[in-house]
Amino acid sequence: MSDEPAPPLAEAPLGPEPYAPTAPPQGLQRQRLHPLTPLLESFRFLTAAAAAAGIQAFTSRNFLFAIYIALAAAVVGGIASLIALQYRGFVIWGRELHIYGGVFTRSHRTVPLDRLQSVDLVRPIRARLFGLAQLNIEVAGGDGTDARLAYLKADRALELRAELLAIAGRPAAAPEPEAPEGEPVDRDAGLLVPQVTVKRLALASLLEALPVQITAILVLGTAFGVTGSIFGFSTVATTLWVGFFAPALLGYLQSTVAMVNRFLRNGRFRIGRDGGNLLIQRGLTDTSHETVPVDRVTGVSFDEPVMWRSRRWRRVEVWTAAVAQQSATATRSTTALPVGDPDQVAIVAAAAVPDLPSVFETERPPVRARWRMPLAWKKTGAALTDRAFVVRHGLWVNTHVAVPYARIQSVKVTQGRIQRMQGLATVRALAAGGVGHDAVAYHRDAREAVAMAAELRDRADAAAALERPRLS
Amino acid sequence: MSPKATPVWDLWPGDLQWQPMSPQLRTVWVLRSLLNVLLLAILAAVPLCIWLGWDGLLWALGGYVVLAGLRAWAVARTVRTWGYAEREEDLVVRHGLLTRRLSIVPYGRIQLIDLSAGPIERMFGLTTVQVRTAALGSTTEVPGLDPPVASALRDRLAVRAAEVREGL
Repeated sequence: MSDEPAPPLAEAPLGPEPYAPTAPPQGLQRQRLHPLTPLLESFRFLTAAAAAAGIQAFTSRNFLFAIYIALAAAVVGGIASLIALQYRGFVIWGRELHIYGGVFTRSHRTVPLDRLQSVDLVRPIRARLFGLAQLNIEVAGGDGTDARLAYLKADRALELRAELLAIAGRPAAAPEPEAPEGEPVDRDAGLLVPQVTVKRLALASLLEALPVQITAILVLGTAFGVTGSIFGFSTVATTLWVGFFAPALLGYLQSTVAMVNRFLRNGRFRIGRDGGNLLIQRGLTDTSHETVPVDRVTGVSFDEPVMWRSRRWRRVEVWTAAVAQQSATATRSTTALPVGDPDQVAIVAAAAVPDLPSVFETERPPVRARWRMPLAWKKTGAALTDRAFVVRHGLWVNTHVAVPYARIQSVKVTQGRIQRMQGLATVRALAAGGVGHDAVAYHRDAREAVAMAAELRDRADAAAALERPRLS
Repeated sequence: MSPKATPVWDLWPGDLQWQPMSPQLRTVWVLRSLLNVLLLAILAAVPLCIWLGWDGLLWALGGYVVLAGLRAWAVARTVRTWGYAEREEDLVVRHGLLTRRLSIVPYGRIQLIDLSAGPIERMFGLTTVQVRTAALGSTTEVPGLDPPVASALRDRLAVRAAEVREGL
């Protein structure tokens, strides 16, 4: 923010005075966000205004009115953004980051950098057009503590990220592998595995989606054919189609869009390791940089969609406490490798959790549990390995979940009514974070299940005792 | 009862000293279930009265007696399955009549310990201890303890949690 002369910042005239002793002194110079910020944030509004103007001009040939709309939008937007900019900004004060915002409702968020989890650099496509970037800052400790700094110039954002990480005591990322001077030859230098090629990623996404797509098309097609031959195709086209097929088709379309989105998000995937962090860069249209602190990894999952098996490809996802602690919508895990060969998978797994193997021998549940999951039984299992509790399940997407013993929070054994008659029980090892982020060994022999739970507890204590003491 | 149908917690390798809940707990839970069924009966009585006239009230009452009896019987049996044991490094809680549940919470992972008591529980002088870890949705409850026992348990847990602090 040094290159452009900043207009003087307004004194805070309204709203609560920051009397709290943690507030930085009034005189401290706030750093401002990029002037284009409000414009980008009201991107949807502007698009709507442009669309309205266009439609107006197209339908009624009333070009003057279209110009009025555009002018009004520009003036209102411009004034609003000028005002809004005065109140937005941030200050790094000691070991705290203070973020100010809001015109009518003033907000002031304090981010304790001691508890910084990660700083992610995200570049949505509309920001990329102007060379801007946004920082997502995550802090340990529950919901609503993550903060967002949008938008900053891309290089300024990188600097700030390094600065924040340095203050937080995490060794700052080696000044970005993405240096613009870097010749394209050693693109893969410093990466754990070579960048995932677009071709392989596209093929992998396609193969993963294929069973679902084929099933959906088959089901829809047969339904259409059968009902059509019974009731006559014209009736189907009108009533049934609107009532039943359209929603199903919508769901199908949505899943297709999700597949394409995931492909776009994981394009040009690069993962590197820097000290105690995994650095992930990805995205074809919206690029994002993510930092995964290795000592926060609570689990690693290896997915193997059914069509990938012949190629021995697998996907690696990493669960972290930081990611799981976001709001309920974000109990997602971070993809550490969208698709990879066995040796690549092994490298990434070992980088995420030291000494974690990537191939596991799991033991199946007893045969008397087979009728409960006739197809998936062969692909279900659990194992207590040296470092981690490993479970395996899933038919279409076969998943191995490995939770290191030191990350197991609590252990549960449940035994349903029918399970009791059969002498079976389910073991659950819970890791920190959201629901669904736990390793579940289904339908073990009851005696074995209880012994497994006891063993898990012992190993968890032993593993935790080996670690250096950590806060929270 | 076939040998396979033994509750899952009886298969634990090694000995566990199960602590029982307060004997009052059964009374409290039976009362609570009776109240819940009563609410249902009152809700059902309105349409029954419209449909059958004043006979509907009798039907509702009869239904209430049957349902409440069954429910009270089930609840009374469920209460007996509750138990907790303090081991060297963790707290073990068992419960459940149809679905048997066994939760093991290491002291080192405990984040929060709550004491709570509802109105009926308070009338009988009972307290519930709730233990939370960093895993969402893993609240472990130890219901129906006498207040001195509950606060003693909480203090022991808190001391042990501070001693063996383990991370996420």
